[in-house]
Amino acid sequence: MIEFKNVCKKYPNGTLALDDVSLTINDGEFVFIVGESGAGKSTMLKTLFREEKISSGSLTVDGYDLVKIKNRQIPHYRRKLGIVFQDFRLFPDKTVFENVAFAMRVIGEPTRSIKRRVPTILSIVGLQDKYNDFPRELSGGEQQRVALARALANNPSIIIADEPTGNVDPKMSLDIMNLLLKIQKRGKTVLVVTHEKNFVDYFQQRVITIKNGKIVDDKVGGMFDA
Amino acid sequence: MRKYSLSYFLSQSFKGLWRNGVMSAASILVLMALLIVMGSFSLLVYNIDVNLENIGVLNEIVVFCDENCTDEEIADIGRQIRLLDNVNEDMVKHNTKQQILDEERAKYAGTEVENVFKEMVDRGVNPYRDEFIVTYNDNSEVTTLEYQLGQIQGIDKINSRADLAEKVEGIKNSVTFIFIFFLVVLFVVSLFVIINTIKLAVYARKQEIAIMRYVGATKWFITLPFVFEGMLIGLIASGVAYLVEWYMYTYIGKMLMQNSSILTIVPFSQVDGFVILGFLAVGLFSGIVGSAISLRKYLKA
Repeated sequence: MIEFKNVCKKYPNGTLALDDVSLTINDGEFVFIVGESGAGKSTMLKTLFREEKISSGSLTVDGYDLVKIKNRQIPHYRRKLGIVFQDFRLFPDKTVFENVAFAMRVIGEPTRSIKRRVPTILSIVGLQDKYNDFPRELSGGEQQRVALARALANNPSIIIADEPTGNVDPKMSLDIMNLLLKIQKRGKTVLVVTHEKNFVDYFQQRVITIKNGKIVDDKVGGMFDA
Repeated sequence: MRKYSLSYFLSQSFKGLWRNGVMSAASILVLMALLIVMGSFSLLVYNIDVNLENIGVLNEIVVFCDENCTDEEIADIGRQIRLLDNVNEDMVKHNTKQQILDEERAKYAGTEVENVFKEMVDRGVNPYRDEFIVTYNDNSEVTTLEYQLGQIQGIDKINSRADLAEKVEGIKNSVTFIFIFFLVVLFVVSLFVIINTIKLAVYARKQEIAIMRYVGATKWFITLPFVFEGMLIGLIASGVAYLVEWYMYTYIGKMLMQNSSILTIVPFSQVDGFVILGFLAVGLFSGIVGSAISLRKYLKA
């Protein structure tokens, strides 16, 4: 469960990026976070990654109190999250298999377990035939699916996708969204930050709208109305 | 429990070293230069020390009494010497001419020269003179002491190697000063180059580090390959510097031994342990410290 309670985030330059945000996202929910550029979406994600500390209020994710969390606990907390970026952030000199395996290797997963698990994850995202391909040999949609596979590698309970379809053609974008929905059906909590009005309206999921750092709308089956 | 593989860290360090080839080579060369200069000066200072110890008689002056002096006059000379400022009162040794003759005779017993001494004794002739071996405290005041000794009635001749001692002492001080100066400068420069090499490596792998952090890599997992990279730089530089030092020292040592019979050159085999340990200590220390400093800001959560 993700719980923001009266969260404020003020940057040293005085910008109030989050202004008294309170919301609860339950386990297994699919949530779109929408809003204009500069509305506070990125800051919200950064506070969830614990890349930024909140200025006031409380923020709890999966039992971790992100205000009181100790620095040495942060890596362990982040293993609960799977993160997908608009620009994929894959390693160009690593194959599809190695890109996914990398996420497991950094948390000390044994090689045997990596060899067993990576093919399973790649088949979930439909890339079972692309093990040895390099990112440059894949389309944008396929690259994003590799990124999704990497996000799933350590079996996180929450998937956070920041504009996952921003660099993908429309048909592939639909595939990615369907994939995210499929992942949510497997019991994961999925947060998608997006500008894609069509998808938001089409998928009829919970939509949280942020404006000037405040939540201005929060509806299940809502529409894109940023 | 999950375990990180050492081979993974090592392979990452080697890759990092290879990817930043030019800067890595620069770091190795600078560190190597530092180690060679440091090693050479240390060995030079050590050899000067050993040579100074060998010629420890340098702070001794031998004073010969006039052959016509009576025993009473000689005793008086001894008293006057002991009263001088720069003289260690307990370290004034009087050798009578009879003692010297006996010692010399014993030294040459069983040789062809033995008969010469026998003849001297039979004829009641003793060519030696009473002498005082004077140990002094302050090398810089030795000229004054020589003058003062020369003023004592009954002293015929003064033997001193003060000039040489002064020169060696002067050289030793200059070498030590230059040694410390170069050491500090080179150490700072090599640390700076290593820090920049690792910084470049860190910058090139910024995205990789960011992804590592997002997927939950611990600080150690991120840091270790860079620390190992720094250690590798230190290790390679130490190894090469040791070989260069060994060759240089042996070559120069041989050359000096051929041209001088007074100098003692400590064999490299007697100091090689200290050299390699010193090199490894400085090499690894600068490598690790360099990596740690350049990674500091990436260690934030």
